[in-house]
Amino acid sequence: MRWLKHGYLGLVYLLLYLPIAVLVVFSFNASRNPYRWQGLSLEWYARLWDNDALIQAAANSLLLATTAATLSTLIGTLTAIALHRYRFRGKRLLNGMLFVVMMSPDIVLAISLLVLFILLGVKLGYLSLLLAHVTFCLPFVVVTVYARLSGFNAQIIEAARDLGASEWQMLRTVLVPIIFPAVMAGWLLGFTLSLDDVVVSIFVTGPTFEVLPLRIYSMVRLGVKPEVNALATVLLMLSLLALLASQYFLARK
Amino acid sequence: MKLRAPFRTAVVALIWAWMLLFVFLPNLLVIVASFLVRDDVHFVRPEASLESYARLLDPVYAGVFLDSLGMAVTTTLVCLLIGYPFAYAVSRLPARVKPLLIFLVILPFWTNSLVRTYAMKLLLATNGLTNQALLGLGIVDAPLRMLYTEGAVIAGLVYVLLPFMILPLYAVFEQLREDLLEVSSDLGAERWRTFRYVVLPLTMPGVLAGCLLVLIPAVGMFYVADVLGGARHLLIGNVIKNQFLDARDWPFGAAASILLTLAMALLLYAYYLSARMVRRRSADDALA
Amino acid sequence: MKLLRTALRVWLLGLCATAATAADKVLYVYNWSEYMPEAVLEQFEDETGIEVVYATFDSNEAMYAKLRLVDDKNSYDVAVPSTYYVSKMRREGLLAPIDKSRLKNFKYLDTKLVNQPFDPDNQYSVPYLWGSTGIAVNTDTVKPDALSKWADLWKPEFKDRLMMTNDMREVFHVGLRVLGYSGNDTDAAHLEAAYEKLKDLMPNVRVFNSEAPRMPYLEGETDAGMIWNGEAYVAQEENAAIVYIYPEEGVALWMDNLVIPKTARNVDNAHLFIDFLLRPEIGRLISEEIGYASPNAEAVTLLDEEVRSNRTVYPIDADLKNAEFQTDVGDAITVYEKYWELLKAGRD
Repeated sequence: MRWLKHGYLGLVYLLLYLPIAVLVVFSFNASRNPYRWQGLSLEWYARLWDNDALIQAAANSLLLATTAATLSTLIGTLTAIALHRYRFRGKRLLNGMLFVVMMSPDIVLAISLLVLFILLGVKLGYLSLLLAHVTFCLPFVVVTVYARLSGFNAQIIEAARDLGASEWQMLRTVLVPIIFPAVMAGWLLGFTLSLDDVVVSIFVTGPTFEVLPLRIYSMVRLGVKPEVNALATVLLMLSLLALLASQYFLARK
Repeated sequence: MKLRAPFRTAVVALIWAWMLLFVFLPNLLVIVASFLVRDDVHFVRPEASLESYARLLDPVYAGVFLDSLGMAVTTTLVCLLIGYPFAYAVSRLPARVKPLLIFLVILPFWTNSLVRTYAMKLLLATNGLTNQALLGLGIVDAPLRMLYTEGAVIAGLVYVLLPFMILPLYAVFEQLREDLLEVSSDLGAERWRTFRYVVLPLTMPGVLAGCLLVLIPAVGMFYVADVLGGARHLLIGNVIKNQFLDARDWPFGAAASILLTLAMALLLYAYYLSARMVRRRSADDALA
Repeated sequence: MKLLRTALRVWLLGLCATAATAADKVLYVYNWSEYMPEAVLEQFEDETGIEVVYATFDSNEAMYAKLRLVDDKNSYDVAVPSTYYVSKMRREGLLAPIDKSRLKNFKYLDTKLVNQPFDPDNQYSVPYLWGSTGIAVNTDTVKPDALSKWADLWKPEFKDRLMMTNDMREVFHVGLRVLGYSGNDTDAAHLEAAYEKLKDLMPNVRVFNSEAPRMPYLEGETDAGMIWNGEAYVAQEENAAIVYIYPEEGVALWMDNLVIPKTARNVDNAHLFIDFLLRPEIGRLISEEIGYASPNAEAVTLLDEEVRSNRTVYPIDADLKNAEFQTDVGDAITVYEKYWELLKAGRD
């Protein structure tokens, strides 16, 4: 039974990682043909290094993901606090709208924002991408932080208030430390969602700010540019490094 | 007390403004656009019409909708079949390895899903790796034709969306108390009965949530259909995207999007009903 | 908290860096995918110091839709529509006039290809490359004599084995020609008949691709179907079994043209770029690398003999029997669009 269980787990992980392993392995392939192995080479990494447009697009994607995650974490955390602590009119409607965003297919969100931006004359580029990404990350941050808030004893807050802390002091010294892990988790979730997005980005991007999905969309459909493999490998390594670094710093703290 | 009011007002105003501007207003615009007439220069002409909805009734588009839903449902079922035992198995492992294992499920997200779809193409192509392996092992004589089929689209969707099924399932299995299962087996229940009457009802919320998280994005992922289906096996997402980024028929694209939203809303309502039923039943069980 | 602050600073730095690249020494080029050698762009950047931001599209419709979405704060400086889209965009006032006094290399263009009805006196467009859409066949798997005309594609032996370009006008060209109509037909009844005819072809079609139509042949996914001559030329270099055929009913001929959208912000740079592409030496390089025919008469004389005598790239008169140049179909385009949608959305 135990064998079966571990074997099954192994199989699913194999399924999850086989395509990625193929990408990584074939980024070192000497051949241009992505289906035939012809020996080790770093040629595609050299090509990638020279491909300014692709690197710029990757940098833009990372920048967008960090900004969108940060902004949505900021707004989302405040929203979660407000939803948890305050009573105000239309709370249910607000909850409903957040739920709608979380549950609508990306494509529906994408076209509605495209129509809005065209109508308002918002330039399609960094700003439009940022607004769109923050919008679809927001509910996920709210849910994550809200879950943490409802998970702990509300009396702590009231105790702080009773002891004479101002709302601001209470937020800073009591609430924020408590919800900090959830805020970080929310940020990470937003970052991941933004980096992984294809659908919304393709609709609201413009010529002056190209992000990775658009840049590689045609490359991927051609299926003959191992530079994409090299780039995917580099990005994967970078994210792993970032993760290890954060683990290290957290452990030291 | 002083700061409370302005802070509260500011936060509530900010979130309200954001939601109104970027959620309510855009959706309203799409609804309005769907009732207008296509215009070559200004996208839409302010002239009321139901033509776009009439066009949706064309059997060809109805076919795309059904096909697309069919592919999405198949994807969801496959994800459930793979994800359910997987989430269970992970949840029963020692606590120190669990975070790592779950993290390994999320890690692929950091490689953009478009790139992962492309990786699937490398595996499924006629002279791709799967066929090379099968031919090499002598399992097949001629390469299997997998790319540019409906099966390829479904495989791609499963691959990209599987983590969305696993995570909610894992969350419910984590809360499932081991002693409940033991009690059940101590009371002489067979494995199957324990599963059927204890485990399944208790994990139902996770199943429903996972299914929604897979089903809803699955209908819109036009790039998976493009890359793996060769633009021959379309999803609703492809139809909507073509209206906005090729044919410039905004009213029709908007109408298709609204139909999609309605279908999803129906599903959500069904989810809500069944979730309520599940909760009530487990409450009954607890009382009994 | 210190970590957070450092991260914030790095991120702000990144933001500034991206903003800084928006200087005036840039040129936004919007071209078909796989349609310009990288070396050409690099040479232009080296000579002028202008940074080329290069983006691609895979159909005239997508290009047009995108140009409609962007405005003058944010647009492309050079785009490359086919002839029939030049006339449409010109009519709709989407193009900026081209100042030919700034194109000292314009004189090298073949006189037969300039001053055409779609743009008299080339006020708004400059020919870039021309070519044809014909039949490709992989002779390893299909006997070449099994295919000599478009109608042969309907044979049941090709079930699930065909590649079609993802291009509305070209696919309809096939349907219309097989029925004996012009590829530029505007009669709604004829178009409907072509749609019905093409519907019968769908069980044979495995994939639509306009990004790199040669790839499904090279990957072994398809044995026959439509292709652009330049793609066939490039494919032959990798696999000699892939052969380009001029079907009896006639190929579709087209020409792609450099235009400056009305919303362009770097008009001077755009002129520099167009003039650069008109240099005979550059024209030769493009034609030899990409495999389409150059409209630049001077460039053609410089060509490698092997390319110039290659009938796939430079057809002889017999190949062009029944060939038709694609022209603007006016309002009938919406009829095409309707049936194209239905064709692609329909099931087998």
